[in-house]
Amino acid sequence: MTDTETDPEPATDGGEEVRADGTGIVAPDDETPTWRERKERSQGLSRLTYEYFERARREDQDLRTESTYVERDVLAFPTWPHELIRNLSITFFFVGMIIFLSAALPPHIAAPADPSTTPAIILPDWYLYWSFGLLKLGPLNPELAILGGEKLMADRTYGVVANIVVVGFISMVPFINKGAARRPVEQPFWAAVGVFGVTFAATISALSVKNLLAPVIDTHLLFDLTFLLPFVTGFISYGLLKTMREGYMFSLNRRYYRLRPPK
Amino acid sequence: MADEFMKGLFVLTGGALAWLVLSGWYTTESFEEGQLVADVTVSQIDIYATVALTLREALFWFAIIGALTFWVLIPAAREARSAWASRRSSD
Repeated sequence: MTDTETDPEPATDGGEEVRADGTGIVAPDDETPTWRERKERSQGLSRLTYEYFERARREDQDLRTESTYVERDVLAFPTWPHELIRNLSITFFFVGMIIFLSAALPPHIAAPADPSTTPAIILPDWYLYWSFGLLKLGPLNPELAILGGEKLMADRTYGVVANIVVVGFISMVPFINKGAARRPVEQPFWAAVGVFGVTFAATISALSVKNLLAPVIDTHLLFDLTFLLPFVTGFISYGLLKTMREGYMFSLNRRYYRLRPPK
Repeated sequence: MADEFMKGLFVLTGGALAWLVLSGWYTTESFEEGQLVADVTVSQIDIYATVALTLREALFWFAIIGALTFWVLIPAAREARSAWASRRSSD
């Protein structure tokens, strides 16, 4: 957070420099208004949230004022009880939901697979549909005039190469953009790239099962939409995020990420 | 405000979950076709089936109308009341 001096934006957070090493924390004296007085919330979830953080902060302070307590350099919550109570309640909720659903709606168990016959429709698991769809890009494989109308490679080779290209691009993204932003509005372009990718994953998955979707949507229309929709959603999200930048307080939101290691 | 959202979400998810279970019992053709919204699959509609199907229909509308109540109606009523109060006090 050393760029505070050069920041031309008006200070909306009191203008104090945020220190990430925890040295800025001092126990309040008698004249300091308590956290409760400053930030009292009167009702509902906001009050509950406030009570939670106030309790955590006070226990932290009590520990700090004890003589044997060594000042910690990281601002955090104790594992017990804070983190564990929360994690256990979440865990119990999902375990209970699994037990409830498996008891109330026992899943259908199909007849055992017959190894001697091939099913009519063969599909990978749903999370691999995108890769399966990339194998069906035959119409995009160009017929080169220089080769007398022949294709440079077979359609199936073309699909495998498309997989390599997509996987290669995804593995390159972390090196192209280090991801300093914490919210999409801070980097609209990369957020739009992400929306493009998510949409393309969905549309290419739909393309991979085009024979099943034939009653719902025309196959040629589906093929065109597969490549058009990602651009549409990408442009829309870029425009929306650009619009949202107006009034977004970058320096204010930077406070929430004070635990980020300094550059 | 956040509380009203959570109440609405609780009504929506809770009602939808109960509706899901009853639909799985009474209006699911099979695992592969006609899940949850098929016609009634039990052969004879006894008292249990009658209660369950009525409850299923009621839960469906409870989930939708309940969520709309907490997310739209109550906040709108509050806004209208405060607007009305400020207008009266400014006169």
